[in-house]
Amino acid sequence: MLFFVLLALLNGVLIGASRTINGQLSTRAGAFRASVWNHVVGLVFLSAVLLVLRTWPDVTDVPVAAYAGGVFGALFVAVNSYVFPRLGAMSASVLVISGQVLSAVLIDCVQQRTLPAPIRLAGVALVLLGLSLPRITARLRQKEIQKCPTEQK
Amino acid sequence: MTGRALDWLLAIAGGVLLTLMTLSNAVLARHTDALWASWAAHGLGAVVALVLVLTIARRKPAPGQNTGSGARTRTPLWYYLGGIPGALVVILSAVAVNSELALAGTIALMLTGQMVFGTAADHLGLLHIPRRRVTGTDLAVAGCVLAGSVLIVLGGA
Repeated sequence: MLFFVLLALLNGVLIGASRTINGQLSTRAGAFRASVWNHVVGLVFLSAVLLVLRTWPDVTDVPVAAYAGGVFGALFVAVNSYVFPRLGAMSASVLVISGQVLSAVLIDCVQQRTLPAPIRLAGVALVLLGLSLPRITARLRQKEIQKCPTEQK
Repeated sequence: MTGRALDWLLAIAGGVLLTLMTLSNAVLARHTDALWASWAAHGLGAVVALVLVLTIARRKPAPGQNTGSGARTRTPLWYYLGGIPGALVVILSAVAVNSELALAGTIALMLTGQMVFGTAADHLGLLHIPRRRVTGTDLAVAGCVLAGSVLIVLGGA
């Protein structure tokens, strides 16, 4: 069990590393070229894995819309590579994850035509609270400064 | 709108793109398997990204335009290899999802790993990124977003 926990954590680290490296490349080559390299190198790597495993599924009855993921992926890596060096790895990760989980809740709502479970709503509230924390603390600090203007330097 | 606010919105929009990507890749994986779906998505993504470069980003950015940090030196080879850890995740997460962790547990731990890595990378300047001071507010933001995300993931639909 511990092995799988560590494996899943390592996965998160690999995602972070991948996005950070692509971000670094974008500072040299631009965000869209970083997206090309990410996909070409990933494709070569996965081709090698497929050749070793020799598992080719039957791909005859796949809806064309299912391939739209490639389009979203290309755009995602470009956008992500652009913001990563600008915001820093931590802030960029936090914001991307927020957008990811909030949109997932919204899409589930629309698809299932029901409100999210209470625990999920609590999760949404926590994410939104987290995102607004910098604003809240900045405002609090401003008030403190206003209270004692003589001490302001 | 300030540049900072625009960066924020872009990052959040990136997360939305990621959800849409996951959604369509899941359909593809259901009809085939996870490995092949990822392979196809990478192939198609490469084509789409190449088209984007040729249509809207023909000119390379001026060196050091984005960060200005040592951009005159040669680009290290490993800068081009970000796709490898990304592709590796596809395989390793399939292993984790099939364990007792199941999908929700795996995603929750992957989000945690991402947050920890982001914090450590900024703090230590890992992978050549500029060091940034991680403030108490930063940690509180990450903590809230992580806790909220885990609730969403474990809370079911």
